[in-house]
Amino acid sequence: MTPATLTPPRNEEHTAPAPLRTRRRRLSLTPYVFVAPFYVVFAAFGLYPLVFALQLSFTNWKGAGEARFIGLDNYTYLLTSPEFWASLGNSAVMWLLIVPVQIVGGLAAAVLLANARLRLRGMFRVAFIAPFVTPLVAMAQVWIVVFDSDYGLVNHLLRLVGLPGVDWLTSTTWAKPTLALLFLWKTTGFAVIILLAGLQAVPSDVYEAAALDGASRRRQFWSLTLPLVRRSIAFLIVVQTLAVFQMFAEPFVVTQGGPYGSTTTGGLYLYNHITASDLGTGAANSFLLVLLVFALSLLSVRLLRSRDE
Amino acid sequence: MSRPSVPRRSVLRGALGVGALAVGAGPLAACAPGSTGSGPRKLTATSSASAKGEITIWSRSGDLYKVFDAAIDTFRRAHPHVTVHHQAVDIDSKLANTLITGADLPDGSFWDDAKIGSQAEHLYDLTDLIAPYRKDTSPYKLSVNTVDGRIYGVPWDLDPGLLWYREDLLEDAGVDPAGLATYDDLLDAARALKERNPKAGPIHLEKDPFLGQLWLEMLANQQGTSLADAKGALRLDSEEYRTILTWVRSAVHEKLVTHTEYLKQGDLAALEDGRQALVPWATWWSFAPQQLLKKTRGKWRVTRLPAWTAGGARSGAMGGSSFIIPAKAKNPELAWLLYEFLCFKQPGYSAVYGPGSVYPGGLNTSVPSYTPARKADKPLFKPVDALGGQDLWKVAVDAAATIPAAAPIPAWWGKSIDYLGNNLQRLMEGSMTPDDVIDDSTRKIQRNLVDRA
Repeated sequence: MTPATLTPPRNEEHTAPAPLRTRRRRLSLTPYVFVAPFYVVFAAFGLYPLVFALQLSFTNWKGAGEARFIGLDNYTYLLTSPEFWASLGNSAVMWLLIVPVQIVGGLAAAVLLANARLRLRGMFRVAFIAPFVTPLVAMAQVWIVVFDSDYGLVNHLLRLVGLPGVDWLTSTTWAKPTLALLFLWKTTGFAVIILLAGLQAVPSDVYEAAALDGASRRRQFWSLTLPLVRRSIAFLIVVQTLAVFQMFAEPFVVTQGGPYGSTTTGGLYLYNHITASDLGTGAANSFLLVLLVFALSLLSVRLLRSRDE
Repeated sequence: MSRPSVPRRSVLRGALGVGALAVGAGPLAACAPGSTGSGPRKLTATSSASAKGEITIWSRSGDLYKVFDAAIDTFRRAHPHVTVHHQAVDIDSKLANTLITGADLPDGSFWDDAKIGSQAEHLYDLTDLIAPYRKDTSPYKLSVNTVDGRIYGVPWDLDPGLLWYREDLLEDAGVDPAGLATYDDLLDAARALKERNPKAGPIHLEKDPFLGQLWLEMLANQQGTSLADAKGALRLDSEEYRTILTWVRSAVHEKLVTHTEYLKQGDLAALEDGRQALVPWATWWSFAPQQLLKKTRGKWRVTRLPAWTAGGARSGAMGGSSFIIPAKAKNPELAWLLYEFLCFKQPGYSAVYGPGSVYPGGLNTSVPSYTPARKADKPLFKPVDALGGQDLWKVAVDAAATIPAAAPIPAWWGKSIDYLGNNLQRLMEGSMTPDDVIDDSTRKIQRNLVDRA
């Protein structure tokens, strides 16, 4: 470095920085003005309802009249309530019926759709994504008609081949699998998109190298494809776990939680408190669900991280 | 709902910590729950002659809206200076929330009797206004509109329970409908029908838990009781309920029943092919032969319900609706004027129930709760062709006169279906005994609903 490089510019009037106070004011206010709308909206529609609900969970408010502070009573009531645990049990069974099936099925579909030699590939992709973009309530109404015990299409087909009809939506045995099927139909397109993106991100030369080394197709799938889309699979498990434990619209529209509460999921049980004007218990229930979902998410992330390490 | 986004997940992750911080700060007095609640208010009448202004009225959407729209036209002619904005609304999903928030409230609305008790503090106290009509109003309707001794709904329709039967099948089996005086007689009739047709399950038992419990309450009301007493205490564990449930179990054990959902395809098929011939149900079942049944239209008849004991009441109420005026209504006096006209004034109730453009023969799915409107010799609706020309009006008003008074319907009644309604279904399926139903339902309703009310 020569001394010349340290020489200040001659024309200091044009190049000197603005007075410190003015510059600080400009720099300090402008970004806050730009981000302020987000914070205002978040405070109004995110933070305020959240805090309000938390406060509500310690009261016996019924939607009108005075709210009495009752401490942890709503939480102890729920944690000792067989119905609360039954709702979580229903969600857990739904999880077992949905998530493993969706991961395996979605991966199989994604592998097929990733194959450039597949004919009508575009049509298949549309077929997978169409249910995902269709309004759930419309699909649920279709489900009610198709699986109706008396006049449903499925029972009609069963009877055509000499089999007895099944109480798909009105028996405790079949209601959960039937709702799980609706959920799968609705969301598997999303799983396929995520897995397809994961598959397409795998460099083709990895497969070329494996082929040169003599690895069979099956070996390539188990040793290359599966490990390389592991992150996509983990992401799906986390997201779908959240979705299943919050599941509401499907049982609400199709079975109203019945028969005998067998499809009352955690989300629907929460809603039932709200409609009974038992808002304090409903709020407490929502925070217990938040804790549960938070724990499940954390567990999934930890499992993924340990595999990475 | 089915697929949360990643940002939402992030929000959930931070929820507890943020919430705890904010609660700790404690600046929430202004938004404390309950701070916007309103107490019940009394309403005074306005002079009919000077009535002037605008009101918004909500009615249940569907045919009933059209019926009320026509009746409100009659009111408009009687009160030309009152403008009525009549709106068809999904009352069940909208009214309760609107009452709680107090935003965009109507001046008056149609509502189920069973829901009035739960929102009384958002409604006008109508006790003084109804006082002149009190002695001429069905005791049952007054009781279900009463909370802590005050009346919060304008009693509209009364829905007496009746016995619907297939006249031709009973004739074939040698059963005289006039002899169906008790529920034991009803079982005997079912046995006779089953002898003629072994495939028959002559008595309808309801498979929908809500309607099933409503039906159970009709049978309980017939014996002068109900799920809760005037103070809201549970009284399911009683001889009256045990009698009903034991009767149901007998009918189920002898395979004298068809267990189907109200007027769904399986139910209609059983009604049409002669498997079902006896339907103890509310007067609104008249809809079935008039609108849904094709093959057996004209073969159905109706009589009063059998009694539980010889000489006992021959009917009980099943359902029913009233009109409410929100405590924050802008023009409550005018809303009262309208409902007074529709319920208690001859041109009003005649316009509602009498022949009109929607129902040429008149509205025959219920009867007025106001006794002067319910005279056997002055029918408001015509004999029904689908019932072979039978005078349904006379049967219904005779039955309505015998309906015992009841206790107010508790706010938690709807939620009790999760317990009692479901257990009743288990009894009908043979997987529970009457004592099981009573014990399990009582315990759960007490813990989950009564204790938390």
